[in-house]
Amino acid sequence: MDIIILVLLFITALLILKGAKRGLILSLWVLSLILMLGLFRYHVTSALDLSF
Amino acid sequence: MSATDNTPEQAVEAVENDVAATVSAVADIPPADAGEKTIWSSLSFWGAHLWVLGYAGVLSGAFTIQFAMGEFPCPLCMLQRYGMILSTLGALWIIMQARRGTLTPTRYMQGLGMGALGAMAGALVSVRQILLHIKPGDPGYGAPVLGLHLYSWALITFYIVVLYVAVAAMVSPRGIPVAPTGGAGRAISTIVVAIFLILLAANVIAIIFLEGFAWVLPDDPISYGLIDQLQGQPIPSGG
Repeated sequence: MDIIILVLLFITALLILKGAKRGLILSLWVLSLILMLGLFRYHVTSALDLSF
Repeated sequence: MSATDNTPEQAVEAVENDVAATVSAVADIPPADAGEKTIWSSLSFWGAHLWVLGYAGVLSGAFTIQFAMGEFPCPLCMLQRYGMILSTLGALWIIMQARRGTLTPTRYMQGLGMGALGAMAGALVSVRQILLHIKPGDPGYGAPVLGLHLYSWALITFYIVVLYVAVAAMVSPRGIPVAPTGGAGRAISTIVVAIFLILLAANVIAIIFLEGFAWVLPDDPISYGLIDQLQGQPIPSGG
């Protein structure tokens, strides 16, 4: 999943440089953000133990 | 049929459609002073470069710690890098549109929005990692740099980005970035963009080595997964 996210981010950067269509760039960017948040959710495996 | 022939509901709908069409048409048109080079437009153009360069520096620092000090990034560390990159893509968007002369107020706001959202997503991960290690006696993850762990520094950078976006949005009517037409300014801008792109490519290569054929990174990586897997070790669960 990390590889997919970084490849997507790299492609988005290349599209920004090339001046591709705004909709395509924003869609890829949003997809990357969603995947990143999904991966974060996957790695949150326990509640925080904050009882001092 | 004139507007007076319509029912009140139809008349209201027609007016709403007219307003929506007008707003949509006007939103992407630069204001009269857009494209005019002022101190604010120059400041915001180079501010976006500072943003890119700042995160390029942070990503370089992370690489230095990874390769020179032999510390492998944890999954949350990588997620914070993604937040930084997502945020920086907003700045990159602004820079490239300004360089092409196609940066409208709408597009400028979209770039700032991308930057802020990316920073907030990264901050979410930083806060989680800080809270994981906040208890007294917890040594934290990795070695501290200048007294703070990398995830604490990351949170500070995310706050700085959100602050920058807020200020840039406040001065935006006069601060739509305008790129220099040529010379050293253009060359510096190209170098900054190239540095970020090279670091992004390096991150892609690094993550391929770290993750290999596994679906996600292990919680506490101690080696490069791809090399281990090519040497016959099993792909970790989730892969």
